[in-house]
Amino acid sequence: MAKIRILDIIEETMADGPGLRTAIYCAGCAHRCPGCHNPQSWDFAGGHEMTVDELLDIVKADEFSNVSFSGGDPFYQAEAFTELARRIKEETGKTIWCWTGFTYEEILADGRLSMLLPYIDVLVDGPFIQELRDPELMFRGSSNQRIIYLTEKEDDVIPGTVPLKPAK
Amino acid sequence: MVRNVIKRDGRVVEFDKKKIIDAVTRAMDVTDEGEDIVLAAEIAAAISKIAKESMSVEDIQDHVEMELMNSTRKEVAKKYIAYRNQRNLARKAKSREIFKEIIEAQATDVTRENANMNADTPAGMMMKFASESTKSFVDECLLSEDVKEAVTNAYIHIHDKDYYPTKSLTCVQHPLDKILKNGFFAGHGESRPAKRIETASILGCISMETVQNEMHGGQAIPAFDFYMAPFVRKAYQEEIDKISDITGIDYSRLKDFAIDDYIKRDLLGIQGDERVIQHAINMTVSRVHQSMEAFIHNMNSIHSRGGNQVVFSSINYGTDTSAEGRCVIREILNTTYEGVGNGSTAIFPIQIWKKKRGVSYLPEDRNHDLYRFACKVSARRFFPNFINLDAPFNFHEQWRADDPKRYEYECATMGCRTRVFENRFGPKTSIGRGNLSFTTINIVRIAIECMGIEDRNDRIQAFFQKLDWALDITAKQLCERFNFQKTALKKQFPLLMGALWVGSEGLEDTDTIEKVINQGTLGIGFIGLAETLIALTGKHHGESEEAQELGLRIVTYMRDKANEYSEMFKHNFSVLATPAEGLSGRFTKLDRKKFGIIPGITDKEYYTNSNHVPVYYNCTPKHKAEIEAPYHDLTRGGHIFYVEIDGDATHNPEAIMSIVDIMDKYNIGYGSVNHNRNRCMDCGYENADADLAECPKCHGHNIDKLQRITGYLVGTTGRWNNAKLAELRDRVVHK
Repeated sequence: MAKIRILDIIEETMADGPGLRTAIYCAGCAHRCPGCHNPQSWDFAGGHEMTVDELLDIVKADEFSNVSFSGGDPFYQAEAFTELARRIKEETGKTIWCWTGFTYEEILADGRLSMLLPYIDVLVDGPFIQELRDPELMFRGSSNQRIIYLTEKEDDVIPGTVPLKPAK
Repeated sequence: MVRNVIKRDGRVVEFDKKKIIDAVTRAMDVTDEGEDIVLAAEIAAAISKIAKESMSVEDIQDHVEMELMNSTRKEVAKKYIAYRNQRNLARKAKSREIFKEIIEAQATDVTRENANMNADTPAGMMMKFASESTKSFVDECLLSEDVKEAVTNAYIHIHDKDYYPTKSLTCVQHPLDKILKNGFFAGHGESRPAKRIETASILGCISMETVQNEMHGGQAIPAFDFYMAPFVRKAYQEEIDKISDITGIDYSRLKDFAIDDYIKRDLLGIQGDERVIQHAINMTVSRVHQSMEAFIHNMNSIHSRGGNQVVFSSINYGTDTSAEGRCVIREILNTTYEGVGNGSTAIFPIQIWKKKRGVSYLPEDRNHDLYRFACKVSARRFFPNFINLDAPFNFHEQWRADDPKRYEYECATMGCRTRVFENRFGPKTSIGRGNLSFTTINIVRIAIECMGIEDRNDRIQAFFQKLDWALDITAKQLCERFNFQKTALKKQFPLLMGALWVGSEGLEDTDTIEKVINQGTLGIGFIGLAETLIALTGKHHGESEEAQELGLRIVTYMRDKANEYSEMFKHNFSVLATPAEGLSGRFTKLDRKKFGIIPGITDKEYYTNSNHVPVYYNCTPKHKAEIEAPYHDLTRGGHIFYVEIDGDATHNPEAIMSIVDIMDKYNIGYGSVNHNRNRCMDCGYENADADLAECPKCHGHNIDKLQRITGYLVGTTGRWNNAKLAELRDRVVHK
């Protein structure tokens, strides 16, 4: 059974993607972006190990929440996260958002990292760049980071209603 | 022989020698020689023999002074006189101090008691002077002795006590269809029935503005969409007539054309009848939009309530599935999203979305698109809130999807949470009814008094005994106020009792309102269940199942007692999860004075709102819902469920939908989502930071912080009182 080093699990968060989400924060990140708001998450020996089954139970226990992978960088534990993501997709109808310091292009070019992609609905990619920091961005820290919809994005156009203030 | 004493306020009470003896011995106690009970008794006896039927308090005190001066204990006389002067001064000084605070426009808890009132304006000051003076009049003249004692000792709080002498009732849900159909007469100037959407929306405002001055609580429209809808079709028909006039072609056959939805479209490429219809629709949508905008603007700008307050207004909507009703809903939401003035969030009316399965909640429902939009609007503008018509207690047996008047069977709420639906003395409906008065029990104080009892069962039993006493005295007080209210004449409430209140049409001007006010409710409120449970069990209900069990037992007990009182006194009693704006700090302050700072109980400046899990306690929305939901069924007099959202809600309107899903699952009656919204008043920049002092765009410091306080929005937290500000600081987001 694959294990993942977990820093924290935040249930029903509203800040890590749309709706309520179970946010799984893993330990370990080698990007070491200057100005990172969570440098204690860099340590690969930090946090504690949990099995995919344990994580799956937590995800399943909350019928209102979808899932977010963050960290740390989940792609440093790509195999275990792939197993978790695959089982979430097979056993629940939940969507998965995943944050990473790699760019989408870097992941695509790497056979091992890209294993995880088929199970991710939305990828938020790229390192945090302090000079490009913008606190108004939706679910991101700096403007180089992108929200990439890997599965179809639902376009919720409601006829006759005023256009909403676009989120950055 | 003296038989009666005339008190300072004019009341006549029986002469009691003991009171003189007490006063004299108290003065003796502070002298070196101490008490001489024999002398005290002699003085009292001498006064009682004075050949007068009745004497005033001052008169008696003069005689006591004289007797003491003639005795061997002249030093007692000195103390007695000193004490008397001090009391007189204190009596005067208290009101003088309060008046000074008001005049100097100081931000104190007196002037900030109500966050919606600007007490610094002349009308606001006038209101405060009146309010502060009537309160003492009520204490002295209108409350019975034991009630007064319970109030003074902070066991109970009588809400809107300043209005008590006016005999006013609290609030009402306006049957606006009657007003729009019949017009109304409200003292000066008569209004004809409405013919157009513009008039309908203005009459809606005027109805609420007029009745606000006849009541002390909120004004609400229970089915805004249903009431406005007929005038949408009328606007469309007018537009068809205009086209007929301009073109010289008679298009009247298109007036009753079945329109699926009133959606604006470009006329390019559309020909013939279709073009005429679409043009009329486009014009209609613009007019409805304008009317809704005017409605919101008026409700935020016309200070019709005493003390420079806008009306405490609420509108309920969301269940009219007709094309016309949908047009009203869409445009009120559109204009709410756009904001008032330069795009500021409108504080009023509180908007309440009536969430119902089969109508709007499920993806296949006709109004599901508008429900989704409502969630997006709420993410930016805090409104609408959501009432859950699917909660079993909000259900009505007679509701039918094809009944054009089905809104009469839909529960509507006051934005602040007051809920009126069940009725022992007439039809079960929210419309044309309201709360008469409510009084809140300080269950925390009762619990603190039992804390010293070692054995758990004994402690809880002692609590229930005291609670019983508090409930009895509250019911008694509510009945006394009812009996005072019912002596009011119909003509004291020209519009309320002229057209709105259930059964009022049968009343003559000189009739009292006694026959009809039993349609209203008497509310028994409570505050600080969390602190109560900490006092009794060591933990609050958010963190301990055992505490939750006891919490439910307490509120169930209150509910059962309310039902008993309903039978016994023949009124509609209900339990209210008290919105404790002015009250939030008062009880705590008094309890702290008496019991000191007790950790987890009196160590903050406020008590936790009604049955809520404490704002400082970190838990998920789901957990909060699981804990608080069962109380909604028990508190039929009103309740609200809050979730604090983290991050920028405008980025996450889906979260609002998830909260409604949680409400649906756990049968929460009424709820809303709180979030931060700052607005730079100089450049219009907005964000969701927890604390924004300087605008990041224009570096201005004129920041408006929007937050919700007991259901109402307050434009700036500068108008919050100290206890509420403390509570705001302690609020944690639920995640």
